[in-house]
Amino acid sequence: MIRRLEPRSGEVIDRATPLKFTWNSKKHIGYAGDTIVSALLANNESVFSRSMKYHRRRGVLTADYWDPNTMVQVGTEPNVRGAHRLLEADMLVSAQNAWPSLDFDVKAANGLFGRFLTAGFYYKTFIKPQRLWPAYEKVLARFAPGGVVDLNTPHGYHDKRYCHPDVVVAGGGPAGLAAAISAAQAGMNVMLVEHNHHLGGHLRWGTDEDRAVADELEATARMAGVEILTDSTVTGRYDDNWIAVSQRNHPGVVERLIKARAKILVVAPGLIERPYVFAGNDLPGVMLSGAARRLINMYAVRPGNRGVVLTANADGDAAVVDLERAGVEIAAVLDARAGETISKASGSSRHLNSVTLLDGSTVKADLLVTAVGWTAPTSLLNMAGDRPCYSPKAARFFSTALPDNVIATGGIVGDGRLDELIAHGASSGELAAERAAAVKHRLRSTVTRAQTPEGPEPPMPADHRDGLCKAPHPELYRSDTHGMVDFSEDVGSKDLLSAAAEGFDSVELLKRFTTATMGPSQGKLETVNTVAVLGEARGESIEEVGTTVWRPPYAPISLGALAGRVFEPVRVSSLHEWHTANNMKPILAGQWIRPDHYGDPAAEVTNVRTNVGIIDVTPLGKLDLRGPDVPRLLNLLYTNEWSKLPVGRVRYGMMCAEDGVVADDGVTGRLGEDHYLMTTTSSGAGQIWQWAEMWLQTEHPDWQVHVTPVTTGYTSINIAGPRSRDLLTRLVDDVDLSPVAFEYMNVRSGTIAGVADCFMWRIGFTGELSFEIHVPAGFGLHVWEQLIEKGADLGVGPFGLEAQRIMRLEKGHFIVGQDTDGLTKAPTTGLTPLIRLDKADFAGKPELEWSLGAGAPELPVLVAIRPTDPQLVPDEACQILRKGTAEIVGRITSSRFSPTLGRSVCLGQVTPEFAAAGTEITVRLCDGSDTTATVMQHHAHFDPEGVRLRG
Amino acid sequence: MPVRLSAVIRRSLAKRRLAPRYSGAGLLWRGVRNSSWPRVWREPPLKKSYDVVVIGGGVHGLATAYYLAANHGITDVAVLDKAYLGSGGSGRNTAIVRSNYLTPEGVAFYDRSLELYNTMSADLNLNVMFSERGHLTLAHTDSAVRTMRWRAEVNKLQNIDSSVIGPAEISRIAPSLDTSPNTRYPILAALYHPPGGTIRHDAVVWAYARAADAHGVDMHQKTEVIDITCEGGEGPDGKGPGAKVTGVCTSKGDVSARVVINCTAGWAGLIAAMAGLKLPITTHPLQAAVTEPVKVFLPTVVVSGSLHVYVSQTDRGELVFGASVDPFATYDMGGTLDFTEELAGHVLELMPAVSEMRLLRQWAGLCDITPDYSPVMGFTPVEGFLCDVGWGTYGFKAGPVSGEQLAKCVAEQATPELISPFALSRFDSGMLVGEKGAAAVGH
Repeated sequence: MIRRLEPRSGEVIDRATPLKFTWNSKKHIGYAGDTIVSALLANNESVFSRSMKYHRRRGVLTADYWDPNTMVQVGTEPNVRGAHRLLEADMLVSAQNAWPSLDFDVKAANGLFGRFLTAGFYYKTFIKPQRLWPAYEKVLARFAPGGVVDLNTPHGYHDKRYCHPDVVVAGGGPAGLAAAISAAQAGMNVMLVEHNHHLGGHLRWGTDEDRAVADELEATARMAGVEILTDSTVTGRYDDNWIAVSQRNHPGVVERLIKARAKILVVAPGLIERPYVFAGNDLPGVMLSGAARRLINMYAVRPGNRGVVLTANADGDAAVVDLERAGVEIAAVLDARAGETISKASGSSRHLNSVTLLDGSTVKADLLVTAVGWTAPTSLLNMAGDRPCYSPKAARFFSTALPDNVIATGGIVGDGRLDELIAHGASSGELAAERAAAVKHRLRSTVTRAQTPEGPEPPMPADHRDGLCKAPHPELYRSDTHGMVDFSEDVGSKDLLSAAAEGFDSVELLKRFTTATMGPSQGKLETVNTVAVLGEARGESIEEVGTTVWRPPYAPISLGALAGRVFEPVRVSSLHEWHTANNMKPILAGQWIRPDHYGDPAAEVTNVRTNVGIIDVTPLGKLDLRGPDVPRLLNLLYTNEWSKLPVGRVRYGMMCAEDGVVADDGVTGRLGEDHYLMTTTSSGAGQIWQWAEMWLQTEHPDWQVHVTPVTTGYTSINIAGPRSRDLLTRLVDDVDLSPVAFEYMNVRSGTIAGVADCFMWRIGFTGELSFEIHVPAGFGLHVWEQLIEKGADLGVGPFGLEAQRIMRLEKGHFIVGQDTDGLTKAPTTGLTPLIRLDKADFAGKPELEWSLGAGAPELPVLVAIRPTDPQLVPDEACQILRKGTAEIVGRITSSRFSPTLGRSVCLGQVTPEFAAAGTEITVRLCDGSDTTATVMQHHAHFDPEGVRLRG
Repeated sequence: MPVRLSAVIRRSLAKRRLAPRYSGAGLLWRGVRNSSWPRVWREPPLKKSYDVVVIGGGVHGLATAYYLAANHGITDVAVLDKAYLGSGGSGRNTAIVRSNYLTPEGVAFYDRSLELYNTMSADLNLNVMFSERGHLTLAHTDSAVRTMRWRAEVNKLQNIDSSVIGPAEISRIAPSLDTSPNTRYPILAALYHPPGGTIRHDAVVWAYARAADAHGVDMHQKTEVIDITCEGGEGPDGKGPGAKVTGVCTSKGDVSARVVINCTAGWAGLIAAMAGLKLPITTHPLQAAVTEPVKVFLPTVVVSGSLHVYVSQTDRGELVFGASVDPFATYDMGGTLDFTEELAGHVLELMPAVSEMRLLRQWAGLCDITPDYSPVMGFTPVEGFLCDVGWGTYGFKAGPVSGEQLAKCVAEQATPELISPFALSRFDSGMLVGEKGAAAVGH
């Protein structure tokens, strides 16, 4: 039987371009313009998948994107919509959910047990013995539907586009096209998004006159400057008309996400034809009128030889005409408007053979076409807050209330002749243009904050469109037999009725219990039938039962398109290339990549302790603070006192969150009368900036403070070691670096290696005499190289993060987030003198006031710890136990082997009971063994008096 | 002051309604005879008075009602839900269960929950499909590795199966993860917790509802609580601290009750306000999404704190994703596009192979968050008004044990040890619970 018809006037295939492709290792030929399914049908293939649960053979149902029976695997891509995806040369197409083959599928045995595999059967079985459940589960998991993911698929190339159209029209049927044209002709910038490959909606598979109208509308839209996207879908409408569009046919890209901030969204998706529920409604050979008409008129494929048509509307009537013209013998036409219907369809599992009518008589046929009504795809309206309401007269749902910036038109609004639909679309486009203009006006008047627009805001133009009527349509949902309701999930009307009888009788519970509407078409085909069957069970109308909420996306969108080009910036300092060229071992620190060490961290430590070392500390957060109210801000953010910091001095401070937990720490220096530079931890740089802005913008907008993040504006270098002053002196002429002129905790600005406007301050995280210099980033490399060159005879060498961590631990400096955690309140750190409760206010003060008061629970204490075995370095996070028990009394927060002391050193948090100097504690190592350690008097293992630091 | 309930404990009267038990044999028998199963729970009329009214028909509320009846013989209980059973967080979560928490309190509590989940199918005679598939928390940075080790060490001391494993082992357990060192956020290690897994969340709701119903508990769906009535309190209408609860007003009529339990999420603060109490809670949406099904390839639960994502594959083949809560407080459950974009980016960072899988559906639930990321459970300053709220993003995991302990709390008029760390009074005494550090993406 040759199914491909003679060339037809409306066909979309290009017979001059044949394409070879493979279906389940069989070779076939189709034409350019074919979908995978139309090409397969033309090659006399009629089964495309096995159903999810019973593995029944499935043929074409809707012949479009929403067809639940034609999901196929194309190469490595799973779940391709075979009735939508265009055929390409050498495509490798295979069936999903069938083993060993589509024709002989072992799991079809499930069908024999259908009466036992009712909806939710697994909730009732495999309960005992419980130890066997994991084995059952493994078997069940093999029954998962869908295609196969190739774990070697590399990350695809995806891009995104941003745009700001005045009007987005979702749907390129007659109403949508008319809306786009009139909005564009009114001067608006319009984007029209059509789900299918062709514009014109149902006109495409209609008569020659229909197509002529579609062509004319399309030409007019192009002339009017409408941007037209086909094979693209508005997948979501989010707050304030933030519109997501998935574009599937952008050249060179699998799928592209377009993000549009539309002033007005016009929703014109048309209607989706609804299947009819009866026994055998999922047999290959049973299809909807839209499927038959698409196949004949667009793809020149004859869907069968001898057909029965059940029609309740003009589309069904038109299908009869189309079938006849395609040479299909019409065995019977049943007119639902006259009360006629069918009872069931019968056949082998491979194909329909006969149709049984209500009176019991049978009609031989290999094709059954039904046209029983529509589902209004109100998904985008749902996303705009609409809760649609059912009209028994028109037998479908309609929207109830929409926000001003969303306008619906076309079949989703009502019925009418083609000219009426076009007129409604056109007036909707005009309304969209008027409203878009009003939104534009509002946006213009709000962009300049300083000026308020004159006069009252113009009102949103009111809706004066002539409505569309609601044409009467018979309510046809289920015949007198039971059939499939959700084709993707293999849920039948019988399953729904028994689930409802069991008490799962609200639409949401029914959905969750039976999984009806939860498959790939997300209810587009089956929601109304589900609701109708539930209504039947409850003895209620569809109106009373209500419907589920449709959530984004309207059509599934690939993870690749959503991800786009993964934008995870890497931050490096201006010295990065130098580090790379000099044997850097990198470490990932948040967004930053920085040197962990240059080969031997222990040697780097020793060099700093004996000579001088330099470290790139650019990631240190830096905020430039200016204005007369900076001290007020500092007093608010830090726990200590900042009112009287003299110019030229720096001070250490600790910040707390409002719960008194340590949030950050660092030093801030006063560079000038109203000019300060704050440093934060590297990881806290972004948060502290936000934190400062939050206080300034929400609580103290009257304070005169400018906060500018300058982290990467300066290259920051710490020069540490007993010879650091000697080294820096060689590069600086205009600042007196002598111990008397430039004391510890002071800041100076000056010229370093010829670079002006540098800051240098004397502080010391490593515990050595050290100078931290901040150099304009463009000159960072120059200064660094000068330090290396001029310090050669002093033994200067670079050191990395690891050496710094060892030295700070030797010195007992804690790191926020490592030695403190999400519950560490400020007093735990031992810096209680820095908590100035006598200040008027600071972030965390009430909580700390209470924590330090009488009767408050005792807080853990941060202490230095030395393992008894000097060679043993307990892993960080090892727990400290009460001896002989499993009771946790603390943990090691930092640990390293100290090259300076030749032994292991630690910091840790312990309960106060164990915090006294000299206490012996038990440490549980990661391997499960215990060791002992001693709590130290001072945090610093090395130079506790700070002699070296102040030298 | 604790409520006197001895009068309402009617252990001897607590009789199980004889409901047919679910089993494979029963299924076969009914299949052969073509007979149907009885209703899973009754639809009784709302009475004028109950001993205990539970507000919220999710896992917490239903478990509380079930254990009140089953363990303590308190059967004159009504569970009220403004929508349908399981319509809130219980039906919106990503159904991950685990017990590898950071603090001893957290570990003890969730381990009991996991224990109850483990035997739930048999205990409640409904297969909740607990899938003990293991739980991987990935670490991409030094500090994350340290936190994983911290959790593992605490877990080991509590006899929880939890350990830190390296990339080779991770790759063996979940081959779809990109464990190469060249990614933007290389996977350095993971906390592996074999007893963790997933469960069919709706089934848990139905199992508790069915079992509670069998013990005589009344479930009232589409019954919204509009107000709580009190007497003797400091505030207006006799509400507030010092008050005694007398009942609730609902959309279907007033009900008097001696005990009212707030088991809601998303609206916990509003319900507490009806009794004149202010809870330290802010409400944030938590979004989730699911893809189309493909053949099963991901055998375990994968969580990445640094990338703010967790993912598992259901037995139906769908990938289920979640992330951290939205940073803004709102009751809006509309969901955002940004969420799906960021989520997809992070998932592909972990598993580049899934870029052609399609997102099918996104949704949101509401999370009530307290300052220390731990719940508020037990007695409140209003006599007879108890709370089981503030569960943030992890309420589902805790449902069974919360119900069990809260029922005990009501029946014995004393706070059980297991939930004593979560008392509302801790915000006065300062004894906060330390899960905050570990709960940023607490799945």
